[in-house]
Amino acid sequence: MIEKRTARRNRLPAERGEGALRSEAGDGRPGAGSVSMRGIVKRHGSFTALHGIDLDIAPGEFFALLGPSGSGKTTTLRILAGLESVDAGRVRQDGVDVTDREPGERDVAMVFQSYALYPHMTVHENIAFPLRMIGTAKDETERAVRDAAAKVRIDHLLARRPGELSGGQQQRCALARAIVRKPRLFLLDEPLSNLDAKLRLETRVELRKLQRALGVTTVYVTHDQEEAMTIADRVAVFMEGRIVQVGRPQDIFARPATSVVAAFIGSPPMNLLPGEVRDGMLRVAGMDFPGLRVRAGDGAVSVGVRPAALRIGPDGLPARVYLVENLGDTTIVDLDVAGQVIKLRTDQPPNVREGDQVRVSFAPDALHLFDPDTGLRRD
Amino acid sequence: MSAPGLPARESAPKREARRVAPVTGKRLRTLALVVLATVLLAIWAFPVLWALLTSFKTERDVLAYPPTIFFEPTLRNYADVLFGSASLLPNLLSSTIVAGVSTIVTLLLAIPAAYALARLDLPAKRASGFYVLATQMLPPVGLIIPYYLVLQKVGMLDTYSGLIVIYLTFSLPFAIWLMVSYFEDIPREMEEAALLDRAGRLRALWYVILPQVRGGIAVTTIFVFLNAWNEFLFAVVLGGNRVRPVTVAMFNYISVEQTLWAKLAAGAMLAMAPVILLGLLAQRHIVKGLTVGAVKGGGRR
Repeated sequence: MIEKRTARRNRLPAERGEGALRSEAGDGRPGAGSVSMRGIVKRHGSFTALHGIDLDIAPGEFFALLGPSGSGKTTTLRILAGLESVDAGRVRQDGVDVTDREPGERDVAMVFQSYALYPHMTVHENIAFPLRMIGTAKDETERAVRDAAAKVRIDHLLARRPGELSGGQQQRCALARAIVRKPRLFLLDEPLSNLDAKLRLETRVELRKLQRALGVTTVYVTHDQEEAMTIADRVAVFMEGRIVQVGRPQDIFARPATSVVAAFIGSPPMNLLPGEVRDGMLRVAGMDFPGLRVRAGDGAVSVGVRPAALRIGPDGLPARVYLVENLGDTTIVDLDVAGQVIKLRTDQPPNVREGDQVRVSFAPDALHLFDPDTGLRRD
Repeated sequence: MSAPGLPARESAPKREARRVAPVTGKRLRTLALVVLATVLLAIWAFPVLWALLTSFKTERDVLAYPPTIFFEPTLRNYADVLFGSASLLPNLLSSTIVAGVSTIVTLLLAIPAAYALARLDLPAKRASGFYVLATQMLPPVGLIIPYYLVLQKVGMLDTYSGLIVIYLTFSLPFAIWLMVSYFEDIPREMEEAALLDRAGRLRALWYVILPQVRGGIAVTTIFVFLNAWNEFLFAVVLGGNRVRPVTVAMFNYISVEQTLWAKLAAGAMLAMAPVILLGLLAQRHIVKGLTVGAVKGGGRR
């Protein structure tokens, strides 16, 4: 019985309603929409794009792959989609090995960075295309297309062609085409990167709402740490073909695993200063902090402090005000500390001007210590 | 609202007066361009128009000197050429078969080949592309004797299949070379999206890629058909009494004793008609900028 149903699902995934997707999770199979990657290696010639990726994504999770360009996050997404083969490792969906399956056999939908809408088809035809390819009945297709278009609010544009849509509308059309057949896994490759700043913020919220409403496992690639932090349930941070940290956004923010992650997350990101620990005492930029007891062992350290944790006050490190960036509700002060520029963020307007000599201090618990060689967290 | 409008209306004639000088300069430029364009157009159109006029003249009017511009038009030449003793109709049919079949076969083979060349990461892809082009650089005269001998050996002289196969040897590389660039212009994400939408390779090609390269298909069709239709050298040597395209048949109007100019012109006009018809049909599909809006920053053409 279960086998029969599985077969039917594989053939006509659009025919099962949203409810069916959930009920399957209750069939005793590992949750519908879970993804696991084990030891994924991908090489492009002599260049290794991914050095053994391990990843587990829970059903219904909104999971972000975050990293600078060239870090392997898009390659990982394309491997999930089946658009790239792997050189080693296995990909499993709901416990089933799908590593060697073609893209069409995986029940995944993807929104491309460029949207990849079919320019010769109308919006309606674009959204209906995935259903047409699996032979869905006409009236059902019609209903599903209208439904999907309404969800992303482009139901009034169905007769247009992609070339006649604005960037935001094109993006919605691509989203509608992806959600119309209710996939098990939803892949988004930098979907907001082509939108202007204001629209990006709006769409971000809508995307999150849409994902919650559909309950589909979603993997989201972005290089924008703010986007990943605000939208995702969990984030995997990619650096040079490796996952350096996986966790909830707030955990990654609070305890970055390496100095590279620390310097990547936050706006502005964490300041890193060279320091030294001797007899449990910290020395930064040539100045001792006798009040600070650190647990890390002796030796050179990289000292990280979030911009918001820095204070201008009567004591602390001597610094020269390099630049004051007023953002309206907050102000970012660039400070020159022993020849290195660090950033301070404050809600109160600081009474300093460029060129002023000031002192900056920080709370002891705001410190993050990293190994200067390996970049690993040291505490 | 009306207050700021008033002074603007008053100053309008003044502004016009100031503009006169640049306007005359601009007009002169436009005039010069129009004259130049007309001259070029006349040079380009003259042979065709002259042939059209000639086709309605009697043989005597054709040879009149100075040439008569006003004459009594006659349809005799067309009647002769179509239904006379040396009717061109069988030859037009012959041409249609040779050009039509070689165009269809060329496209059937060239489209998948060009798609594969555009998409697959083949070793020596560039080199093979250049090789394809290089075969076009060979002068056809250099091939005609080997071709004749080969066709003779396999008994395909003066057969449709023989001539069509020979035409394929140069239309196919040309068509592939032409089509590859059209396929390369389609972003790879197009078929990736189609694959994820469960189209599979063939349906992705059929539903998503081909509609986007139909301009290229139209252009290729015209060129291939035109080349085959107007081909003379191979047809005259490798054809014969059974396969005699219209180009070869028309050549019979030119003989040692006389040249039947009017009939030749009428034949040329008739031979042109199918190609013009095809061009008009294909033009509908040659739409530029079809990929605009497909992807952000798309529409490079």
